[in-house]
Amino acid sequence: MVTHTRAPLRADRLRALNVPRPIAVELDAQGFPFAVDDGDGKRTVDEIIEAWRIDDEWWREPIIRQYVEVILEGGGHVVLFEDVNAKQWYIQRP
Amino acid sequence: MLSSELAVCLWVPLFPLRCEERRRPELVRKPTALLSPTDTRRLWQVSPTARRMGVRVGMTVSQSIGLCPSLTLCEPDPVYYDEQFARLLLALGDVSPVIEPAELGRVFVGADGLEGLYGGPGKVLRVIGRVIGERGTGNGERATLAHRPNKGKREEGRGKGAASTNRAKQRSRRTLPTSRFPLPGGGVGWAEVMRLGWGRGKFISWVAATRAKPGDAVIVSNGERRTFLASQPVAVLPVSSDTHRRMWQLGIKTLADVARLPETALVSQFGSEGGRAWQLAAGNADDPVTGQERPEPIVAAIDFPAPVADRIMLAHTLDKLIERALKHPRRIGWRVHVVRVRATLEHGASWMAGATLRDPSAHRDHIAAPLKVRLDQAPPSGAVEHLAVEFTAFARGTDELQLFARDASAAARAGRRRALHTAAHEIQTRLRRPMLSHIIEVQPWSRIPERRYALIDFEP
Repeated sequence: MVTHTRAPLRADRLRALNVPRPIAVELDAQGFPFAVDDGDGKRTVDEIIEAWRIDDEWWREPIIRQYVEVILEGGGHVVLFEDVNAKQWYIQRP
Repeated sequence: MLSSELAVCLWVPLFPLRCEERRRPELVRKPTALLSPTDTRRLWQVSPTARRMGVRVGMTVSQSIGLCPSLTLCEPDPVYYDEQFARLLLALGDVSPVIEPAELGRVFVGADGLEGLYGGPGKVLRVIGRVIGERGTGNGERATLAHRPNKGKREEGRGKGAASTNRAKQRSRRTLPTSRFPLPGGGVGWAEVMRLGWGRGKFISWVAATRAKPGDAVIVSNGERRTFLASQPVAVLPVSSDTHRRMWQLGIKTLADVARLPETALVSQFGSEGGRAWQLAAGNADDPVTGQERPEPIVAAIDFPAPVADRIMLAHTLDKLIERALKHPRRIGWRVHVVRVRATLEHGASWMAGATLRDPSAHRDHIAAPLKVRLDQAPPSGAVEHLAVEFTAFARGTDELQLFARDASAAARAGRRRALHTAAHEIQTRLRRPMLSHIIEVQPWSRIPERRYALIDFEP
């Protein structure tokens, strides 16, 4: 990370990092991801490292996500999550 | 020092010979051999066409001409091969910051994090193929993304018998735990001849590259690495020829045979080499790609007014060039670890000798000694027109020089910071907006990953 330059921060010039991208996910019988397809071809899940759930911001627009940290075929280390409200899966860097 | 567990191996077999073919395309279809840089009476590399005619590496020139009268012999030009390889490394540096050259024509590229930038392994390999095709080409030419005309002709010429062989090959490929695909190629680029392998660790990526056809890539997924390795011959193991021979005598022919044995049995039979072989064969070895920051070399060179063949004169010039290079301000506080001497010869060939000093030194005679030994044992094959000495790697100075070393290190850091600020200003002035960003913490404690950090324009 670069040293802070002490220049005043301007929120309108902030660009989000690690924005989740929608992805098609195939689930196995237990409901865990079995394969993913981000439009460039299907890749199977080699290993599931960890799974967790968050329920946040219930006081405004609730965020409910089911996260799964996985290793994909070829060695890619990614985090997948399902937006439980929208029933949509996303991919993100760990 | 940067390292990466995921590795891509880029391999161009017979790299020096391929360099000659790229320089003189008429050689491609002829039986060709390169003479050895250390003994020009013997062959160093042999093209597949010449090999089919019985010509072998290490043969004398007269033996090879006897077997193949149409053989074209090329004088070695090690400086040119080195430049071409450096060009490949430079192009790969645009794809990944972790580059580890293994030998001429074989390099490992760290692939950790590249999937986030380019997509899956296939996409990363295609990017490498494209970059090498476009930027890794020498002589300023650019590879086109056209299909391969030669390959097309071969396909047309095949009959029905060949089609059934193809079907058999496809069947056998489906059973392999790997995926393979052609790389984006060009008629004149390296993409035609290079092979790429993808896997976890250098060994798996190297074995994958050896299984790829020219211009193709093989991906070994992490989950399938053991299945992939099991069917490979023991010849892929980086052990001595004696160990290979003994393994064959004991009936150990594949990596599955090695992995089936207890590790202790291999250690007791082959020593530490056996233990390493077991780890590699079982897919347990953790051999990440390690990239090193390469300092800009310090070079001192001279153009002779008339070509010089006298060895005493060359040795004296070597001393003077080393003295001149040692006086370079960037060398102060550092000892020389790797030195290289390059010569351009009268008839267009070249000569090169290098040495890695076991005890890095800042003394002329210590640095010159191994180079003079090479000059005596394997002198240039012709008169020298241009001679250059390069210091390419350095070690910190001795205790009494540490003070200078720290100064040099601090000065280098300050210099880098100044250069960064100047570059940022220049970009902002030219493009009217800053194109550089830096990462800031927004909600580093957040359970929602995309809220933790953000990018903001870098304004020095």
